[in-house]
Amino acid sequence: MSFVPGQPVTAVVERIEIQKLRQGENLILGFSIGGGIDQDPGQNPFSEDKSDKGIYVTRISPKGPADLAGLKIGDKIMQVNGWDMTMVTHDQAHKKLTKKKEDVVRLLVTRKSLEEAVKQSKGSYPKH
Amino acid sequence: MFCRNQTARATVARGSALEMEIRRGKFRKSVFLDTSQDSDIQKKIDHEIRMRDGACKLLAACSQKDQALEAAKSLQTCSTRIMAYMSELQRMKEAQVMQKATRRSSDAGPMDDRLPCKGKVAISDLRIPLMWKDTEYFKNKGELHRCAVFCLLQLGEEIFDTDMVIVDRTLTDICFDNTIVFSEASPGFELRVELYSCCSEDDYSAGSTPRKLASKLSSSLGRSAGKKLRAAMEPGPCSPVSNGGGAPLLLPVPSVPGPKYHLLAHTTLSLSHVQDSFRTHDLIISGNEECSYWLPLYGSMCSRLAAQPHCMTQQMMSGCLKVKQQCGGDPQSWTKVHAVLKGTSLFCYYRQEDVEANVEPAFTIGINKETRIRASEKDPLSKVQNICISNHYGGEEVTHTVTTDSREETHRWMEAFWQHFYDMSQWKQCCDDLMKIELPSPRKPAPITPKQGSLYHEMVIESSDDLSSTVSDILARRMQELELRSQLGTSPTWMSAFEESNARCTGRSRHCTRMSGHSPCTPHRLPRSPVSPHRCPQLGLLSSDASLTSDSDSHCSTSPCSHHHGWPEPTSSYSLLSSSPSRLRPRTLSLDAKLSTLRGRGYGGGGTFQCSCQPPPSSLLAPLPISSRSPRSQHSTQTTLSCSSSTSSNSSSNSEGSHSPESSEGGPFSRPSPARRSLRNLRARLDPRNWLQSQV
Repeated sequence: MSFVPGQPVTAVVERIEIQKLRQGENLILGFSIGGGIDQDPGQNPFSEDKSDKGIYVTRISPKGPADLAGLKIGDKIMQVNGWDMTMVTHDQAHKKLTKKKEDVVRLLVTRKSLEEAVKQSKGSYPKH
Repeated sequence: MFCRNQTARATVARGSALEMEIRRGKFRKSVFLDTSQDSDIQKKIDHEIRMRDGACKLLAACSQKDQALEAAKSLQTCSTRIMAYMSELQRMKEAQVMQKATRRSSDAGPMDDRLPCKGKVAISDLRIPLMWKDTEYFKNKGELHRCAVFCLLQLGEEIFDTDMVIVDRTLTDICFDNTIVFSEASPGFELRVELYSCCSEDDYSAGSTPRKLASKLSSSLGRSAGKKLRAAMEPGPCSPVSNGGGAPLLLPVPSVPGPKYHLLAHTTLSLSHVQDSFRTHDLIISGNEECSYWLPLYGSMCSRLAAQPHCMTQQMMSGCLKVKQQCGGDPQSWTKVHAVLKGTSLFCYYRQEDVEANVEPAFTIGINKETRIRASEKDPLSKVQNICISNHYGGEEVTHTVTTDSREETHRWMEAFWQHFYDMSQWKQCCDDLMKIELPSPRKPAPITPKQGSLYHEMVIESSDDLSSTVSDILARRMQELELRSQLGTSPTWMSAFEESNARCTGRSRHCTRMSGHSPCTPHRLPRSPVSPHRCPQLGLLSSDASLTSDSDSHCSTSPCSHHHGWPEPTSSYSLLSSSPSRLRPRTLSLDAKLSTLRGRGYGGGGTFQCSCQPPPSSLLAPLPISSRSPRSQHSTQTTLSCSSSTSSNSSSNSEGSHSPESSEGGPFSRPSPARRSLRNLRARLDPRNWLQSQV
C-alpha cells in the first residue's frame, strides 16, 4: 500500500458508514487512529510497508459505533466524507473525523484482506 | 588639513608646493625632523612588519588546519595594525609639516580648549547570536558548514583581536570570552568592532585544489555549492591599500596561500554605548549568502562596554588645604588637611602618610556634577581667596570653605576643579560611579567543554531496573561536575525540575503518544541576550523526563555558547517512551530506542500527553508551563471516550485522547520556568519521533 510519487494510488476499498454517537456534549466514533505524514511510519504496527504514512485504525472500542459499522483494527483510511486521508497530518485527519457539525462519517478503508479477496476472485475468473 | 590636537589653526596655502609634497606623500626623513613620537611609531611599525612576515612564513609552512587559521588571524591583525600605525604616522607628519610651515601661528596662547582626561575603555563578553534555519539546525541537513571567526577591535591606535572560535550550526551564538582593555581613550572615542570569518571546510582551502579541477568541480556541482567553491577559490578582496589623503608608501599586503579572513560584520561603539551592564548593538553585515564565509547572523551583538576615565581612578590633584569647620565657630579655626581629588570626592586626610596607608580619610567632600564651586571674596586677613564648595545632601545645602596658603595654590586648585568638572561633563555617565573593569586574568586552562555533538553521545545511562535511582545518581554526579567546572553563578536550573518530577516519575506508558501540531513559539533566552522572539522556530511539547532533562541541561551549561535552542520542528515533539514487552514496536535507531530499553518507565509528558493503556494515573510527569501557555486551540475540542474516565483535560493542556481509563492529570502543572527552558533545550537536542494515536 505504498505509493510511487507521481503515480496514482489504487486500492480496493470498502465503504463504511459510521453514525456518531452522542456522549454528553461529544460526538464519538469509537476508534482511534494513528499515523500521518508528520509521524514516524516505521512504528506503525499495522502497515505492511513501513514507509506508509497513511492513517490507520489502531483501536476499536467494542460495541462502539465503529465496531458496529464494520471497521476493523488495522484498516487504512483512504477517505473521510470525501476528504483524502492518504496525505494528511495526524491533526488534519483527526479534525476531519471530529467535525461537530457532522453526525455521520463515510469512510473508505482498505485492508489486506480486501486485496486478497479481489485477487482470489480475479484468479478464479480468467480474463478473456 | 586641520590638526585638532594642536592649538595652531593655520592652514597650508592651497596649491602651494608644500601641499603638493604632502599630497604626494613623499616624506624624506632628512627634510623633516623626527620627533620621538615618530620614532615610537616607526618602531611599532617595524615590529608589526616583522610579526607579519613571521605569520606569512608560518602560514606557508603549516599543514594543520587550525594552525593555518591562527596564523591567518595573526596576519590579519598585523596588517590592520600596520595600516593604523601608518596612518597615524602620516597624521603626525602632516602636523609637523604644518607647524613648520606656518610661521605666524605662534599664538599658542592660553589653552582655552581644555582637553578632557583620558580613560580606560574595556569591552568584554562579546556575544553574537546566529540565526540558523530550522532545517539546518535541527535536522542537521546538509554538510556541516564551519567557519572560523574572530573579532578585531580597534580604538584609536590600539588594535586587539579576540581568540578564534570555530562556528558551525550546532552553535547558537558566537561567544568571545576575552576582555579587551584599551588604556588611552578619549571621551570621543570610536571603538570599531569587526567580525572576520573564514570558511573552514577542508575541501575549500584555497590553493589546495588545482585550478582546473576546481573550475570543473564548481561547474559540475550544484548552483549554490559551486558558487561557494568559486568564492573560496578566489583570493578574496584584497585589503584596502588606500589610506585617505596622500598615501605614504605602504607595503603591499602579501598574498599568501592559505585561509583568508573576510569582513563579515562591523559596528562602531562610542561613549553613548558605555554602560555598566550588557547591551545590544546592531551590526552592519557585509557579504551575503553566496560568500563562503557567510554565517547567518541575527544582526546584533551583545557586549559590556565599560569605561574608567582617569579622573575617576587617579588622583587628579593633591595638596594641602585648610578647611573651615562647618558649624560656624571661630573664623580662625581652619583644619589643615591633605586633600586628594579623585573620582567623585575630595578626600581629606589628616596627614599625607594616611593616603598611602589607606587609612580612612578624615572627611570627604563630594565633588560631582551637582557640586558648585566658587571663589569667594578675599579673606581680609590672609588676602587669599576662599573656595566654597556647595553640595546638596538630601534637601540641604552644605557648604565647605577651603583655602590655601597662597594665591597660586588657590589658583591651581580652582584649575583642578574646573578640569575635573570638564572631565566629568565629557565622560558623562562614566563618572557617576566607577565601573568595574576586570583585567584579563592569566590564562587558565579552559574548561573541558563536551564535544559539541548530539546529546546522545553524552548520555550514559546504565540500564537498571530502578530508573529513578539511576537518574538521581546521574544527576547528582552531573551536579557536582557542573559546580566544579562551570563558573556560572546560578545552580543548574534543571535541578528544581528534577526535584519535583522525581516524585512523579513513576509513569509507565505502553504507547508512545505524542502531541503533534503547532504552537507559537515562546522564546526563552537567557536575560543576557535580548533577542526578539520571532527568531525561534516552532514549539513542540516535551516530556519532562528528569534524566534527559538533566543531561541536556548540563550539557548546555557547560558549553556556554549553546544556551539557546529553539524549538524543534513543529511536529517532532517528545514522546512518552515505552517499552512494553507485550507490544511489538519496531525500534528506531534513535535515542528513544536506547531509552526504551530501560525497562518499562514511561516519561510523562507535559500535561498534554496521555499515557495510553493501563499505566497508573499518576504517571504523568509534570508538564511544562509551556504546555499551559501554548494555545493549542485545535485540540481544545477533544472528544474522549466516555468509558475512559480520563478527564482528558480540555484545559489548556490540550491532551489527545487517551485509550485507557486513567485520569489524565492533564491540568497544567506549574513548573518553574528554568525547568521549562532546560526541557526545551532537551527537546531541541533529542528528536525521537513516535507514532501518535488519537481517539475519535
